[in-house]
Amino acid sequence: MKTMEVRLTVNGEAKQWTIAPGDLLLDVLRREGYFGVKRGCESGECGACTVLIGGTPINSCLMFAAQAEGSEVLTIEGLGHGDKLDPLQEAFLDHGAVQCGFCTPAMILNAKALLNRKPHPSEEEVREALAGTYCRCTGYRKPVEAVLAAANRGGRKPRLRAAPAARREATR
Amino acid sequence: MFDTVEAFYRPGTVGEALRLLQNGKNRARFVAGGTDLVVEADQSIRCLIDITHAGLSYIRRRGKAWVIGATTSMAAMENSPAIRALAGGILARAAATCGSVQIRNMATLGGNLANGSPAADTATPLLALDAEVVLADARGRRKIPLTEFYSGRRKTKALIVEVAIPAMPRGGRWSFQKLGRTESDISLVNAAAGLQLDSQGRAKWVRIALGAVAPTPIRAVNAEKLLTGRKVDESALAVVCDEAARETRPITDVRASAEYRRETCRVLVRRALEECAGGTGCSL
Repeated sequence: MKTMEVRLTVNGEAKQWTIAPGDLLLDVLRREGYFGVKRGCESGECGACTVLIGGTPINSCLMFAAQAEGSEVLTIEGLGHGDKLDPLQEAFLDHGAVQCGFCTPAMILNAKALLNRKPHPSEEEVREALAGTYCRCTGYRKPVEAVLAAANRGGRKPRLRAAPAARREATR
Repeated sequence: MFDTVEAFYRPGTVGEALRLLQNGKNRARFVAGGTDLVVEADQSIRCLIDITHAGLSYIRRRGKAWVIGATTSMAAMENSPAIRALAGGILARAAATCGSVQIRNMATLGGNLANGSPAADTATPLLALDAEVVLADARGRRKIPLTEFYSGRRKTKALIVEVAIPAMPRGGRWSFQKLGRTESDISLVNAAAGLQLDSQGRAKWVRIALGAVAPTPIRAVNAEKLLTGRKVDESALAVVCDEAARETRPITDVRASAEYRRETCRVLVRRALEECAGGTGCSL
Protein backbone atom coordinates (compact mmCIF):
# COMPACT_ATOMS: atom_id res chain seq x y z
CA MET A 1 0.00 0.00 0.00
CA LYS A 2 1.15 3.54 -0.78
CA THR A 3 2.02 5.67 2.23
CA MET A 4 2.79 9.30 2.93
CA GLU A 5 3.94 11.41 5.87
CA VAL A 6 1.78 13.88 7.75
CA ARG A 7 3.18 16.45 10.18
CA LEU A 8 0.86 18.07 12.67
CA THR A 9 0.54 19.15 16.29
CA VAL A 10 -1.68 17.12 18.60
CA ASN A 11 -2.42 18.56 22.04
CA GLY A 12 0.64 20.78 21.75
CA GLU A 13 3.04 17.99 20.74
CA ALA A 14 4.60 17.90 17.28
CA LYS A 15 3.92 14.60 15.51
CA GLN A 16 4.99 13.00 12.27
CA TRP A 17 3.02 9.95 11.23
CA THR A 18 3.09 7.60 8.28
CA ILE A 19 -0.40 7.30 6.87
CA ALA A 20 -2.19 5.92 3.83
CA PRO A 21 -3.43 8.68 1.47
CA GLY A 22 -7.03 7.62 2.07
CA ASP A 23 -6.83 7.39 5.87
CA LEU A 24 -9.43 9.37 7.79
CA LEU A 25 -8.29 11.55 10.69
CA LEU A 26 -10.50 9.60 13.12
CA ASP A 27 -8.77 6.31 12.28
CA VAL A 28 -5.28 7.78 12.53
CA LEU A 29 -5.93 9.50 15.88
CA ARG A 30 -7.29 6.28 17.40
CA ARG A 31 -4.45 4.24 15.91
CA GLU A 32 -2.06 6.65 17.67
CA GLY A 33 -3.84 6.11 20.99
CA TYR A 34 -6.19 9.08 21.24
CA PHE A 35 -9.15 6.97 22.31
CA GLY A 36 -11.06 10.00 23.57
CA VAL A 37 -11.89 10.51 19.90
CA LYS A 38 -14.90 8.20 19.61
CA ARG A 39 -15.95 6.15 16.61
CA GLY A 40 -19.70 6.57 16.33
CA CYS A 41 -21.75 6.77 13.15
CA GLU A 42 -18.78 7.46 10.82
CA SER A 43 -21.01 9.62 8.63
CA GLY A 44 -20.99 13.03 10.30
CA GLU A 45 -24.29 12.60 12.11
CA CYS A 46 -23.46 11.86 15.75
CA GLY A 47 -20.48 14.14 16.39
CA ALA A 48 -18.76 11.70 18.79
CA CYS A 49 -15.50 11.96 16.80
CA THR A 50 -15.28 15.77 17.24
CA VAL A 51 -11.82 17.30 17.60
CA LEU A 52 -10.77 20.95 17.40
CA ILE A 53 -8.58 21.97 14.47
CA GLY A 54 -7.10 25.39 15.09
CA GLY A 55 -9.80 25.83 17.74
CA THR A 56 -12.67 24.93 15.39
CA PRO A 57 -14.78 21.81 15.99
CA ILE A 58 -14.96 19.36 13.10
CA ASN A 59 -16.04 15.73 12.66
CA SER A 60 -12.79 13.75 12.34
CA CYS A 61 -14.68 10.92 10.59
CA LEU A 62 -15.23 13.21 7.58
CA MET A 63 -11.71 14.59 7.28
CA PHE A 64 -8.80 12.90 5.58
CA ALA A 65 -5.74 12.69 7.83
CA ALA A 66 -3.69 14.21 5.01
CA GLN A 67 -5.83 17.35 5.28
CA ALA A 68 -4.57 17.87 8.85
CA GLU A 69 -1.03 18.53 7.60
CA GLY A 70 0.39 21.52 9.48
CA SER A 71 -2.64 21.97 11.71
CA GLU A 72 -3.10 22.07 15.46
CA VAL A 73 -5.39 19.32 16.68
CA LEU A 74 -6.91 19.31 20.16
CA THR A 75 -8.50 16.13 21.54
CA ILE A 76 -10.06 15.67 24.96
CA GLU A 77 -6.74 14.20 26.16
CA GLY A 78 -5.15 17.61 25.69
CA LEU A 79 -7.66 19.64 27.66
CA GLY A 80 -6.57 19.08 31.28
CA HIS A 81 -3.03 19.29 32.64
CA GLY A 82 -2.11 16.13 34.56
CA ASP A 83 -4.47 15.91 37.53
CA LYS A 84 -5.80 19.39 36.94
CA LEU A 85 -8.97 19.25 34.88
CA ASP A 86 -10.27 21.98 32.60
CA PRO A 87 -13.07 24.03 34.24
CA LEU A 88 -15.48 22.53 31.70
CA GLN A 89 -14.51 19.01 32.74
CA GLU A 90 -14.97 20.01 36.41
CA ALA A 91 -18.38 21.46 35.60
CA PHE A 92 -19.47 18.27 33.79
CA LEU A 93 -18.52 16.26 36.89
CA ASP A 94 -20.16 18.71 39.32
CA HIS A 95 -23.41 18.66 37.36
CA GLY A 96 -23.56 14.91 36.76
CA ALA A 97 -23.53 15.71 33.05
CA VAL A 98 -21.88 12.40 32.18
CA GLN A 99 -23.91 9.24 31.77
CA CYS A 100 -22.25 6.51 29.69
CA GLY A 101 -19.63 9.08 28.71
CA PHE A 102 -19.34 8.18 25.03
CA CYS A 103 -20.40 11.62 23.78
CA THR A 104 -18.76 13.55 26.61
CA PRO A 105 -15.43 14.35 24.89
CA ALA A 106 -17.32 15.78 21.91
CA MET A 107 -19.73 17.75 24.12
CA ILE A 108 -16.83 19.26 26.07
CA LEU A 109 -14.74 20.08 22.99
CA ASN A 110 -17.68 21.76 21.26
CA ALA A 111 -18.35 23.72 24.46
CA LYS A 112 -14.65 24.63 24.69
CA ALA A 113 -14.69 26.08 21.18
CA LEU A 114 -17.82 28.07 22.03
CA LEU A 115 -16.42 29.49 25.28
CA ASN A 116 -13.12 30.41 23.59
CA ARG A 117 -15.09 32.41 21.05
CA LYS A 118 -17.79 33.63 23.41
CA PRO A 119 -16.97 33.45 27.15
CA HIS A 120 -20.55 34.21 28.28
CA PRO A 121 -22.94 32.50 25.86
CA SER A 122 -26.71 32.40 26.17
CA GLU A 123 -28.49 29.12 26.77
CA GLU A 124 -29.58 29.13 23.12
CA GLU A 125 -25.98 29.47 22.00
CA VAL A 126 -24.92 26.57 24.23
CA ARG A 127 -27.69 24.38 22.84
CA GLU A 128 -26.68 25.31 19.30
CA ALA A 129 -23.04 24.42 20.03
CA LEU A 130 -24.03 21.03 21.45
CA ALA A 131 -26.62 20.25 18.77
CA GLY A 132 -24.13 18.37 16.61
CA THR A 133 -23.36 15.84 19.33
CA TYR A 134 -25.87 13.09 19.97
CA CYS A 135 -26.23 11.67 23.47
CA ARG A 136 -28.04 8.36 23.20
CA CYS A 137 -28.52 8.31 26.97
CA THR A 138 -30.56 11.43 26.03
CA GLY A 139 -28.99 13.55 28.76
CA TYR A 140 -28.92 16.98 27.16
CA ARG A 141 -30.10 19.13 30.01
CA LYS A 142 -27.21 18.63 32.40
CA PRO A 143 -24.50 19.26 29.79
CA VAL A 144 -26.19 22.59 29.02
CA GLU A 145 -26.23 23.42 32.75
CA ALA A 146 -22.58 22.41 33.05
CA VAL A 147 -21.45 24.62 30.16
CA LEU A 148 -23.40 27.60 31.49
CA ALA A 149 -21.93 27.01 34.95
CA ALA A 150 -18.38 26.82 33.56
CA ALA A 151 -19.02 30.10 31.74
CA ASN A 152 -20.34 31.74 34.92
CA ARG A 153 -17.79 30.18 37.25
CA GLY A 154 -17.99 31.94 40.61
CA GLY A 155 -21.20 33.62 39.59
CA ARG A 156 -24.76 32.62 40.32
CA LYS A 157 -26.16 29.23 39.40
CA PRO A 158 -27.50 29.30 35.87
CA ARG A 159 -31.26 29.20 35.49
CA LEU A 160 -32.51 27.18 32.58
CA ARG A 161 -35.77 27.75 30.85
CA ALA A 162 -38.43 25.36 32.12
CA ALA A 163 -38.49 22.05 30.29
CA PRO A 164 -41.89 20.91 28.99
CA ALA A 165 -43.50 18.55 31.54
CA ALA A 166 -43.26 15.49 29.30
CA ARG A 167 -39.58 16.03 28.62
CA ARG A 168 -38.83 16.63 32.28
CA GLU A 169 -40.45 13.31 33.09
CA ALA A 170 -38.41 11.50 30.46
CA THR A 171 -35.07 12.77 31.71
CA ARG A 172 -35.58 11.73 35.29
CA MET B 1 -12.84 3.01 3.93
CA PHE B 2 -10.69 4.65 1.24
CA ASP B 3 -8.16 1.84 0.91
CA THR B 4 -8.02 2.24 -2.86
CA VAL B 5 -6.70 5.83 -2.70
CA GLU B 6 -3.09 5.94 -3.89
CA ALA B 7 -2.31 9.64 -3.77
CA PHE B 8 -3.41 12.75 -1.91
CA TYR B 9 -2.53 16.19 -3.29
CA ARG B 10 -2.89 19.68 -1.84
CA PRO B 11 -2.43 22.03 -4.80
CA GLY B 12 -1.83 25.72 -4.11
CA THR B 13 -3.53 27.00 -7.27
CA VAL B 14 -6.56 26.27 -9.43
CA GLY B 15 -4.28 25.55 -12.42
CA GLU B 16 -2.37 22.91 -10.52
CA ALA B 17 -5.61 21.37 -9.25
CA LEU B 18 -6.93 21.08 -12.81
CA ARG B 19 -3.69 19.47 -14.05
CA LEU B 20 -3.87 16.92 -11.26
CA LEU B 21 -7.48 16.15 -12.14
CA GLN B 22 -6.53 15.58 -15.76
CA ASN B 23 -3.58 13.36 -14.83
CA GLY B 24 -5.81 11.30 -12.59
CA LYS B 25 -7.95 10.27 -15.56
CA ASN B 26 -11.39 9.39 -14.23
CA ARG B 27 -10.09 8.12 -10.92
CA ALA B 28 -9.31 11.53 -9.39
CA ARG B 29 -11.72 13.60 -7.33
CA PHE B 30 -11.62 17.04 -5.78
CA VAL B 31 -12.23 17.21 -2.05
CA ALA B 32 -12.78 20.22 0.22
CA GLY B 33 -14.98 19.82 3.31
CA GLY B 34 -15.46 16.12 2.65
CA THR B 35 -18.91 16.07 4.24
CA ASP B 36 -20.52 14.54 1.13
CA LEU B 37 -17.55 12.83 -0.53
CA VAL B 38 -16.53 10.80 2.52
CA VAL B 39 -20.07 9.62 3.18
CA GLU B 40 -20.46 8.64 -0.48
CA ALA B 41 -17.36 6.36 -0.04
CA ASP B 42 -16.79 5.88 -3.78
CA GLN B 43 -14.42 2.91 -4.09
CA SER B 44 -13.24 3.88 -7.57
CA ILE B 45 -11.30 6.91 -6.31
CA ARG B 46 -7.52 6.51 -6.69
CA CYS B 47 -6.46 10.10 -6.24
CA LEU B 48 -7.76 12.89 -4.00
CA ILE B 49 -7.09 16.55 -4.71
CA ASP B 50 -7.69 18.81 -1.70
CA ILE B 51 -8.60 22.25 -3.08
CA THR B 52 -8.83 24.03 0.29
CA HIS B 53 -5.36 25.56 -0.23
CA ALA B 54 -6.01 26.75 -3.79
CA GLY B 55 -6.98 30.27 -2.71
CA LEU B 56 -10.73 29.80 -3.07
CA SER B 57 -11.87 30.79 0.45
CA TYR B 58 -13.07 34.39 0.22
CA ILE B 59 -16.08 36.69 0.25
CA ARG B 60 -15.38 39.79 -1.82
CA ARG B 61 -17.03 42.73 -3.47
CA ARG B 62 -16.28 42.93 -7.20
CA GLY B 63 -17.84 45.98 -8.81
CA LYS B 64 -21.50 45.81 -7.83
CA ALA B 65 -21.45 42.04 -7.35
CA TRP B 66 -20.50 39.87 -4.40
CA VAL B 67 -18.30 36.90 -5.16
CA ILE B 68 -17.84 33.92 -2.87
CA GLY B 69 -14.97 31.47 -3.38
CA ALA B 70 -15.90 27.80 -3.78
CA THR B 71 -14.17 26.58 -0.62
CA THR B 72 -15.78 29.20 1.62
CA SER B 73 -17.38 27.31 4.50
CA MET B 74 -21.00 27.51 5.58
CA ALA B 75 -19.75 28.92 8.90
CA ALA B 76 -17.83 31.67 7.10
CA MET B 77 -20.96 32.66 5.17
CA GLU B 78 -23.30 32.64 8.15
CA ASN B 79 -20.84 34.77 10.15
CA SER B 80 -19.94 37.20 7.37
CA PRO B 81 -21.41 40.68 7.98
CA ALA B 82 -21.58 41.18 4.20
CA ILE B 83 -23.54 37.99 3.55
CA ARG B 84 -25.78 38.64 6.55
CA ALA B 85 -26.61 42.04 5.12
CA LEU B 86 -27.05 40.84 1.53
CA ALA B 87 -30.68 40.41 0.43
CA GLY B 88 -32.11 40.22 3.92
CA GLY B 89 -29.47 37.64 4.83
CA ILE B 90 -31.23 34.77 3.02
CA LEU B 91 -27.98 33.10 1.99
CA ALA B 92 -26.45 33.44 5.47
CA ARG B 93 -29.62 32.03 6.95
CA ALA B 94 -29.62 29.06 4.58
CA ALA B 95 -25.95 28.38 5.35
CA ALA B 96 -26.76 28.46 9.08
CA THR B 97 -29.26 25.59 8.66
CA CYS B 98 -26.85 23.42 6.70
CA GLY B 99 -26.07 20.78 9.35
CA SER B 100 -24.46 20.88 12.78
CA VAL B 101 -21.77 23.31 13.91
CA GLN B 102 -19.06 20.79 13.00
CA ILE B 103 -20.54 20.15 9.55
CA ARG B 104 -20.87 23.89 8.86
CA ASN B 105 -17.22 24.38 9.78
CA MET B 106 -16.26 21.84 7.11
CA ALA B 107 -18.89 21.98 4.35
CA THR B 108 -18.24 24.45 1.53
CA LEU B 109 -20.39 26.45 -0.85
CA GLY B 110 -18.80 24.83 -3.92
CA GLY B 111 -19.38 21.38 -2.47
CA ASN B 112 -23.00 22.14 -1.67
CA LEU B 113 -23.57 22.94 -5.36
CA ALA B 114 -21.24 20.32 -6.88
CA ASN B 115 -22.84 17.53 -4.89
CA GLY B 116 -25.96 18.28 -6.90
CA SER B 117 -28.52 17.47 -4.24
CA PRO B 118 -31.97 18.93 -4.96
CA ALA B 119 -32.11 19.76 -1.24
CA ALA B 120 -28.89 21.84 -1.22
CA ASP B 121 -29.77 24.64 1.17
CA THR B 122 -27.65 27.36 -0.42
CA ALA B 123 -28.91 26.68 -3.95
CA THR B 124 -32.42 28.00 -3.34
CA PRO B 125 -31.42 31.49 -2.15
CA LEU B 126 -28.74 31.61 -4.85
CA LEU B 127 -31.37 30.91 -7.54
CA ALA B 128 -33.53 33.71 -6.13
CA LEU B 129 -30.44 35.96 -6.26
CA ASP B 130 -29.75 35.23 -9.97
CA ALA B 131 -26.37 33.81 -9.00
CA GLU B 132 -23.79 32.79 -11.58
CA VAL B 133 -21.17 30.08 -11.22
CA VAL B 134 -17.59 30.45 -12.45
CA LEU B 135 -16.25 27.11 -13.70
CA ALA B 136 -12.67 26.31 -14.67
CA ASP B 137 -11.34 23.46 -16.77
CA ALA B 138 -8.33 22.84 -19.03
CA ARG B 139 -9.79 25.16 -21.68
CA GLY B 140 -10.22 28.11 -19.34
CA ARG B 141 -12.88 29.78 -17.23
CA ARG B 142 -16.50 30.46 -17.99
CA LYS B 143 -19.37 31.99 -16.10
CA ILE B 144 -22.81 30.44 -16.36
CA PRO B 145 -26.13 31.08 -14.63
CA LEU B 146 -26.80 28.70 -11.73
CA THR B 147 -29.90 27.44 -13.58
CA GLU B 148 -27.68 26.35 -16.47
CA PHE B 149 -25.19 24.76 -14.05
CA TYR B 150 -27.96 22.51 -12.80
CA SER B 151 -29.27 21.56 -16.23
CA GLY B 152 -25.79 20.55 -17.47
CA ARG B 153 -24.14 19.36 -14.30
CA ARG B 154 -23.63 15.70 -15.17
CA LYS B 155 -21.79 16.52 -18.37
CA THR B 156 -19.14 18.80 -16.93
CA LYS B 157 -15.77 17.90 -15.46
CA ALA B 158 -14.95 21.41 -14.37
CA LEU B 159 -14.03 22.92 -11.02
CA ILE B 160 -16.34 25.43 -9.39
CA VAL B 161 -14.13 28.44 -8.70
CA GLU B 162 -16.62 30.90 -7.28
CA VAL B 163 -20.23 32.02 -7.16
CA ALA B 164 -21.13 35.57 -8.19
CA ILE B 165 -24.21 37.40 -6.94
CA PRO B 166 -25.12 40.44 -9.05
CA ALA B 167 -26.55 43.67 -7.66
CA MET B 168 -30.19 43.15 -6.66
CA PRO B 169 -33.11 45.54 -7.34
CA ARG B 170 -33.40 48.49 -4.98
CA GLY B 171 -35.77 47.99 -2.08
CA GLY B 172 -35.85 44.21 -2.56
CA ARG B 173 -37.62 42.19 0.11
CA TRP B 174 -36.50 38.67 0.83
CA SER B 175 -37.36 35.45 2.59
CA PHE B 176 -35.87 31.98 3.08
CA GLN B 177 -38.11 29.20 4.39
CA LYS B 178 -37.09 25.67 5.25
CA LEU B 179 -38.85 22.67 6.66
CA GLY B 180 -36.69 19.87 8.05
CA ARG B 181 -37.07 17.46 10.97
CA THR B 182 -34.82 19.69 13.04
CA GLU B 183 -33.28 23.12 12.51
CA SER B 184 -30.06 21.70 11.15
CA ASP B 185 -31.43 18.67 9.29
CA ILE B 186 -31.62 18.27 5.51
CA SER B 187 -34.53 20.14 3.92
CA LEU B 188 -37.74 18.24 3.25
CA VAL B 189 -38.68 21.32 1.27
CA ASN B 190 -37.17 24.80 1.15
CA ALA B 191 -38.09 28.00 -0.62
CA ALA B 192 -36.61 31.43 -1.21
CA ALA B 193 -38.36 34.50 -2.52
CA GLY B 194 -37.46 38.02 -3.57
CA LEU B 195 -39.90 40.84 -4.29
CA GLN B 196 -39.65 44.41 -5.50
CA LEU B 197 -42.86 46.43 -5.22
CA ASP B 198 -43.76 49.55 -7.21
CA SER B 199 -45.23 52.69 -5.63
CA GLN B 200 -48.75 51.21 -5.88
CA GLY B 201 -47.69 48.07 -4.02
CA ARG B 202 -47.70 45.89 -7.12
CA ALA B 203 -44.99 43.29 -7.64
CA LYS B 204 -42.51 44.72 -10.14
CA TRP B 205 -39.86 42.02 -9.87
CA VAL B 206 -40.39 38.52 -8.47
CA ARG B 207 -38.16 35.57 -7.71
CA ILE B 208 -39.43 32.27 -6.31
CA ALA B 209 -36.99 29.38 -5.91
CA LEU B 210 -37.76 25.92 -4.58
CA GLY B 211 -35.60 23.13 -3.18
CA ALA B 212 -36.12 19.38 -2.69
CA VAL B 213 -39.25 19.29 -4.87
CA ALA B 214 -37.69 18.40 -8.25
CA PRO B 215 -34.56 16.63 -9.55
CA THR B 216 -32.67 19.91 -9.05
CA PRO B 217 -33.43 23.15 -7.18
CA ILE B 218 -35.74 25.15 -9.47
CA ARG B 219 -37.17 28.60 -10.15
CA ALA B 220 -40.97 28.65 -10.18
CA VAL B 221 -41.02 30.84 -13.28
CA ASN B 222 -44.74 30.52 -14.03
CA ALA B 223 -45.63 31.52 -10.49
CA GLU B 224 -43.22 34.46 -10.76
CA LYS B 225 -44.95 35.62 -13.98
CA LEU B 226 -48.40 35.28 -12.40
CA LEU B 227 -47.45 37.58 -9.54
CA THR B 228 -45.63 40.19 -11.61
CA GLY B 229 -47.75 43.32 -11.98
CA ARG B 230 -50.21 42.25 -9.28
CA LYS B 231 -50.79 43.39 -5.72
CA VAL B 232 -49.63 40.77 -3.24
CA ASP B 233 -53.08 40.18 -1.74
CA GLU B 234 -54.99 37.09 -0.71
CA SER B 235 -56.35 36.28 -4.16
CA ALA B 236 -52.94 36.66 -5.81
CA LEU B 237 -51.24 34.54 -3.14
CA ALA B 238 -53.75 31.71 -3.59
CA VAL B 239 -53.18 31.55 -7.35
CA VAL B 240 -49.42 32.01 -7.19
CA CYS B 241 -48.85 29.38 -4.49
CA ASP B 242 -51.00 26.86 -6.38
CA GLU B 243 -48.98 27.53 -9.51
CA ALA B 244 -45.66 27.14 -7.66
CA ALA B 245 -46.83 23.78 -6.29
CA ARG B 246 -47.83 22.74 -9.84
CA GLU B 247 -44.32 23.49 -11.09
CA THR B 248 -42.78 20.96 -8.72
CA ARG B 249 -41.91 17.35 -9.56
CA PRO B 250 -41.36 15.92 -6.09
CA ILE B 251 -40.50 12.34 -5.25
CA THR B 252 -41.56 10.10 -2.41
CA ASP B 253 -38.67 8.93 -0.28
CA VAL B 254 -37.87 7.93 3.29
CA ARG B 255 -38.24 11.55 4.47
CA ALA B 256 -41.56 12.57 2.91
CA SER B 257 -44.13 11.67 0.28
CA ALA B 258 -44.44 13.55 -2.98
CA GLU B 259 -47.91 14.77 -1.95
CA TYR B 260 -46.58 16.09 1.34
CA ARG B 261 -43.70 17.87 -0.38
CA ARG B 262 -46.02 19.52 -2.90
CA GLU B 263 -48.41 20.71 -0.21
CA THR B 264 -45.54 21.92 1.99
CA CYS B 265 -44.11 23.78 -0.96
CA ARG B 266 -47.41 25.65 -1.34
CA VAL B 267 -47.26 26.62 2.35
CA LEU B 268 -43.61 27.69 2.29
CA VAL B 269 -44.06 29.83 -0.84
CA ARG B 270 -46.99 31.55 0.87
CA ARG B 271 -44.96 32.17 4.02
CA ALA B 272 -42.05 33.46 1.96
CA LEU B 273 -44.19 35.87 -0.09
CA GLU B 274 -46.09 37.03 2.99
CA GLU B 275 -42.81 37.73 4.74
CA CYS B 276 -41.54 39.66 1.71
CA ALA B 277 -44.78 41.63 1.34
CA GLY B 278 -44.87 42.30 5.08
CA GLY B 279 -41.97 44.59 4.44
CA THR B 280 -39.58 43.33 7.04
CA GLY B 281 -37.93 40.68 4.88
CA CYS B 282 -36.05 38.05 6.79
CA SER B 283 -33.21 38.95 9.01
CA LEU B 284 -30.81 36.98 11.14
